[in-house]
Amino acid sequence: MTTGKAVWPWKLLLAVILIGMAAGVWGAVNRIDYTWRWNRVPQYFLYQGEDAVKIPFDGQIEKVSPMGDRVTVDLVAESGDKQQVEVDAEGLQVAEGDELFEGDTIGFNHAWHLGPLTMGLWTTLWLSACASILALVIGLLAGLARISQNYTLRGLATIYVEFIRGTPLLVQIFIAYFFVGTVFNLSRNVAGIGALAIFAGAYVAEIVRAGIQSIARGQMEAARSLGMNKFQAMVHIILPQAFKRILPPLAGQFISLIKDSSLVSVIAITDLTKSGREIITSTFATFEIWLTVAAMYLVVTSLLSQLVFYMERRLAVSD
Amino acid sequence: MIKAQNVTKIFTGRGQVVRAVDGVSAEIARGEVVVVIGPSGSGKSTFLRCLNGLEQFDDGHIIIDGIDLADRKTDINKVRREVGMVFQQFNLFPHKTVLDNVTLAQQVVRKRNRNDAEQKARQLLTKVGIAEKEKEYPSRLSGGQQQRVAIARALAMDPKIMLFDEPTSALDPEMVGEVLDVMKQLAREGMTMVVVTHEMGFAREVADRVLFMDSGKLVEEGTPDQIFSNPQNERTQLFLSQVL
Ligand SMILES: Nc1ncnc2c1ncn2[C@@H]1O[C@H](COP(=O)(O)OP(=O)(O)O)[C@@H](O)[C@H]1O
Ligand SMILES: [Mg+2]
Repeated sequence: MTTGKAVWPWKLLLAVILIGMAAGVWGAVNRIDYTWRWNRVPQYFLYQGEDAVKIPFDGQIEKVSPMGDRVTVDLVAESGDKQQVEVDAEGLQVAEGDELFEGDTIGFNHAWHLGPLTMGLWTTLWLSACASILALVIGLLAGLARISQNYTLRGLATIYVEFIRGTPLLVQIFIAYFFVGTVFNLSRNVAGIGALAIFAGAYVAEIVRAGIQSIARGQMEAARSLGMNKFQAMVHIILPQAFKRILPPLAGQFISLIKDSSLVSVIAITDLTKSGREIITSTFATFEIWLTVAAMYLVVTSLLSQLVFYMERRLAVSD
Repeated sequence: MIKAQNVTKIFTGRGQVVRAVDGVSAEIARGEVVVVIGPSGSGKSTFLRCLNGLEQFDDGHIIIDGIDLADRKTDINKVRREVGMVFQQFNLFPHKTVLDNVTLAQQVVRKRNRNDAEQKARQLLTKVGIAEKEKEYPSRLSGGQQQRVAIARALAMDPKIMLFDEPTSALDPEMVGEVLDVMKQLAREGMTMVVVTHEMGFAREVADRVLFMDSGKLVEEGTPDQIFSNPQNERTQLFLSQVL
């Protein structure tokens, strides 16, 4: 094999295959007569809403003073109290001298609001972040327990890992919510985060165990021969080295967690996936919404991969 | 200083029982340099590792400075502070700089503050001739340099005894001398040392006493002169005829 081989024919082939696949999908969709409405999608990220401004008491409009496209309205209550509100000029519903009852609309303000896709993404992100942190703690403890010299600890950790890895996450989420959640009266968010954390924790435990066992035995012996106890040797010598090695698989696990978190939509947590489903029931842009949701997951996971790649390089200084 | 009585270490694994150390008794006085020789697999490393509790022995007693390692109440971490060990594979901490390798245990175990630990570390790195590399990571050093750092790291704990397990066996030949020189200097300064080595020249020159081990047993001991010029046991004779 020569290293100077040209890659452009292969790049070209790749492009041809991708374009071919896209064309195939396009053709197939055309045959079922689907109307694409991509223009409906942006409003689910961000939309401009009208907020009604209402009078808080029975009273009268004392004065309306326009300032550009905004209007300042002075209100005076029957009791003599005064108040000033601002609304958009084009949304003004009243005139000077009008008598109003409490709760009547004075006018409207236009403001930007986050759409359900953005809110759903936000829910997915914080849910995953909480679950990741918890999973890291659980996984670290369980991983250490897996290699402990204490039989009971080792046994407990092994049962935990085997049980979690041997059952589907979806079933675990149902158990967490409908069984554990009912018994201990947990909210759906707690049940969802808990289930995800316990699930990922089992995998983190295996990653931690493998990482620690990959550190040469001589490291522990050198640390112990200097008089460090087991805990000190772990904290100062073994874990920092193991961490560097487990960072890539750990990151992979957390990226998986973000994707797996879509399953909590089954217990009615409005994450990104659930938001997508809700939007589809009101519009019929099924294809567009699911493709958008997929793209949003993809963006988040790729950004995270990049971040980890950067961290790995930073940590590689001592190699 | 060190008193080993009938020390026995048995490894059981894969249906095999290996008596790695088999009833070894020896005494090592303060300031003495004892070299342990013997064929590969004769239990030299295992015996040395028993001396600082890295290996738990099955029978016998090891008494270091009046403390019995076989006693369940002995705090082994306290004993290890007083017994430095240098390994064949150096075992430097790869994620720490040279300086940090030498200061870490001082701070963590001896509870010295950063300044004192660094001062001590620099002094020892100068002594082993490697002061200019304090900011490097171990992977950037040659084998001989790494082993000298490992010696400095052990010395930083102010040990009363230093154990060396084939400290030059993993080194390229041209680096053996620089490590042996450091060890010779230590010996001259009166450090109590137990050295497992195949460097017979070093044994002849520096050792007060030589122990010959074979199949886990202490077969013969004596001054370098007695062992090298006039060995009594035929296994000693056979071994020496092969290595000299
Ligand atoms: N951790 C261990 N488990 C099982 N057998 C071991 C272990 N360490 C050493 N041994 C065995 O004990 C014997 C002595 O080994 P060792 O002390 O390393 O010899 P030496 O250092 O003289 O070459 C060998 O037969 C070796 O296979
Ligand atoms: Mg050995």
